[in-house]
Amino acid sequence: MNSDLRRLVHDRLVSEDLVQKNWSNLVLAACDGEDALAGVLSNTKAAPPDTEKSTVTKGTGAYLTALAVEGFRGIGPRQTLTLTAAPGLTIIVGRNGSGKSSFAEALEVLLTSDNKRWAKGRSKVWQDGWRNLHQDKTAAIEAKLDLEGGGQATVSCSWDAGGDLSEQKTGAQIKGKPKTTLQAMGWTDALESYRPFLSYNELGSMLDEGPSKLYDALSLVLGLEDLVTAQAALAECRLARQKPLDISDAAREQFVEQLKTLIAEEPDDRASACLDALTTKNWGLDAVEKIASAGAVPAATQDVTVLTRAVALDAGDPALVAAAVTALRAADAKLKAVAGSDADGARQTASLLEAALNFHAGHGDTDCPVCGGKPGLNAKWAKQSRAQIDRLKIAAAASDDAHRGAEGARRKAIEMMPAPSKLLAQLFEIGVEGLDTARKQWDAWHAGASIKDLTELANHLESHHEAFADALDDLKTAAAAELKRREDRWRPIAQSIAGWIDLARDARAKAEDIPRIKDAEKWLKDASADIRNQRFAPIADKAMKTWEHLRQQSNVTLGKIELVGTGTKRKVSLDVTVDGVAGAALGVMSQGELHSLALSLFLPRATLPESPFRFVVIDDPVQSMDPSRVDGLARALEETARTRQVIVFTHDERLPEAVRRLGIESRMFMVTRRPGSVVEVRKSLDPVRAHIEDALALVHTTDLPNPVLRRTVPGFCRAALESALIGVIRKRQLLAGKTHGEVDEALAKGGKLTPLAALAFFDDRERGSEVMARLNKYGGWAGDAFKQCNEGAHKEYAGDLKQLINDSEKLAERIQAL
Amino acid sequence: MLGHAALVIAARDLMERTDPATAGLWPRATALLARQALEGALDDFWRKRSPGVEHCSMKAQLLCLPHYLGDEELAERVSYAWAGLSGACHQHPYELPPTLVELLGWLGTVEELAAGLKPAGN
Repeated sequence: MNSDLRRLVHDRLVSEDLVQKNWSNLVLAACDGEDALAGVLSNTKAAPPDTEKSTVTKGTGAYLTALAVEGFRGIGPRQTLTLTAAPGLTIIVGRNGSGKSSFAEALEVLLTSDNKRWAKGRSKVWQDGWRNLHQDKTAAIEAKLDLEGGGQATVSCSWDAGGDLSEQKTGAQIKGKPKTTLQAMGWTDALESYRPFLSYNELGSMLDEGPSKLYDALSLVLGLEDLVTAQAALAECRLARQKPLDISDAAREQFVEQLKTLIAEEPDDRASACLDALTTKNWGLDAVEKIASAGAVPAATQDVTVLTRAVALDAGDPALVAAAVTALRAADAKLKAVAGSDADGARQTASLLEAALNFHAGHGDTDCPVCGGKPGLNAKWAKQSRAQIDRLKIAAAASDDAHRGAEGARRKAIEMMPAPSKLLAQLFEIGVEGLDTARKQWDAWHAGASIKDLTELANHLESHHEAFADALDDLKTAAAAELKRREDRWRPIAQSIAGWIDLARDARAKAEDIPRIKDAEKWLKDASADIRNQRFAPIADKAMKTWEHLRQQSNVTLGKIELVGTGTKRKVSLDVTVDGVAGAALGVMSQGELHSLALSLFLPRATLPESPFRFVVIDDPVQSMDPSRVDGLARALEETARTRQVIVFTHDERLPEAVRRLGIESRMFMVTRRPGSVVEVRKSLDPVRAHIEDALALVHTTDLPNPVLRRTVPGFCRAALESALIGVIRKRQLLAGKTHGEVDEALAKGGKLTPLAALAFFDDRERGSEVMARLNKYGGWAGDAFKQCNEGAHKEYAGDLKQLINDSEKLAERIQAL
Repeated sequence: MLGHAALVIAARDLMERTDPATAGLWPRATALLARQALEGALDDFWRKRSPGVEHCSMKAQLLCLPHYLGDEELAERVSYAWAGLSGACHQHPYELPPTLVELLGWLGTVEELAAGLKPAGN
């Protein structure tokens, strides 16, 4: 964005006290381009905006001094249009087919050669037939321009023989400097923005092409495309976020539907949990991930957990069971062997004897301190007692051993018969086959845990384990099958959801920017509309003034002109009032009024101060205008010509007549085309002068046969008199308040010389018989000249040609003075 | 005096020369010569076929022409050429001299009329 415009946006944010808003930096970033915007949104530093570069060299103000054309359209041999490089009105008159429009087109082709847009508006016939028929080998266009602040530029292009229209070679050169390209002149953008070419066709289509085209054509000049670009950057940013979010949400909705279907078919707690999470406001992505991801650990209460655990149930290794049986039986045998032995008694007896031995050792031989028996305690007794203690201890140990062994074997056995797992109840909830048998077998198996007798216990293990193991195996198989069935239903959708989670998370994260992007967009849109109409105001103002000139007797009033709307709804709002009725459509306007309106809109655009072109070329603006509007056009052109070089091409004398009559300063040229596409450009004088000059020129053309002169000169003299009469009649009748239409009607009736003279002298075309007497009041020469002009146009004039011209001129001057 | 045939040749010459002296004025001059050629040719025609008609108004002459000429199509074009040339010889509000194409058409008609008269005439 150019720095002026960016500053304007920035200042607006500041003045509205919006800089602190979380979106204001987005507006500015959008002004700096897509990269900058992406940078701000991703919190990375973007390259600083290249605002400096945008100060491109503005094109230098240019006036046309000459336009030379060769072998192009209606122009054969090279012909040059010489113009005055200054503000002012130049009118170039020529009949259709005279080659006049070829000049206008040539200039446009030359200057817009690097911009193919113009070609699109041309028909195929035009594009194929651009070469001149009589000079189809060489084709060239050259324009000379005076540059403001001194300097002269020449822009030229040429085509090789047989070359296509698009194959032109274009170059430019500023006097005293090296040759360069047309682009280097810096006019490319301005040619589009300010378009100094206005043609009848283009003006006609301007209002027909639809409101958005008109909008584009008018808004281009405002230099606000960058604002549109910035808005587009924001919109794109928003869409780049909205789109993934929408896609993720669509996927989410699809998952929700799939899950609902799955649950409706058969309840599934994972699916239900997932559905609950997905339908929370923020899509419960964390919860969903815990449920659906490949490595997810299901909650303990979930069916899959129960089933998974059920599959892991263990009935016990038969070999271990068998070992336990053996161990029980061995322990039982050992127990039986020590049956009846009193290990405690033996151990206490041994302790008592040890205490007695200690007593003996301390007190020596004595009677038994316990029972007083004799011989009591002595050496022999001591020796026997020591042996007794050993025997007692061994017996006690064996008994202990057998009991310990039995206990251990029993404990092991009982451990092999746990109570039925709580899983069975949960499996019941789920509904798994073989559960009843398994429960029965398990109960039976577990019943063994209360058996005291080791051999019985061993028998229980031996007799119940296989049945229990078989039943449990059946249950496990059923649980595994159920688990697999459930996994088969769940896993595919779980996989889809798992694969979606990261995208969804990313989309949601990015979508967090959307609200502030929207805020930025809205503000920028409103601000742009505001800035646009501010900038457009001067153009609208000028357009209304131009329309005031052009409307003349039109009942159409042009009010406010505004650029409104954006995108496909953009249009130029024209407040058109017809006969005081507002809101009228353009459809009620005549073709001439539409053209005038288009000219009103585009003349201001072409002549904005910012435009590097000091000239504007208007091709045939008069075409469908009625005479009174031509007067308005002449005034509008006069106004424009005060500051611009206005070059108008026109196909008839209406505009020149109006310009002369209204005393508007102008330079006029007449374009005619001879055989071989030889185009002639002559300075055009007022018609009386022109005819007299032509008559004199004929007389001075030495190689024309005298009879030819005698048969043509009187005709020119008569035309001079007719021109003088017509001029006088029009001026007088207009002054008398008659309309152009009424005057034209009167003149058409007047027709020939005598009735015209009657009309001029007496305001009555019927008084032709009095004309001669009136003329003779100027002197006999006047009546003679009048008569000879009238008759001489039909035969060979015998008198003095120079005298006739002289007298005719004198008479014309008298008539003009009426 | 130039005969109508010579006038046609002179008209063509004026149109086709490329000297700057006659630049821009040739269309009207050519029209003047061509109209006189047309009127001269008609004069000759009437003198041969129905003497006296040549003194009538051009309007009357042109109305009679189809009947005497025996070629209605040509007679119509002669009328059209005369009207065009006549207009070009006078000054009319806003009107510019005729174009090359118009002149060529009218001149062609005059030549055709003159050529058709030759055997009957001289």
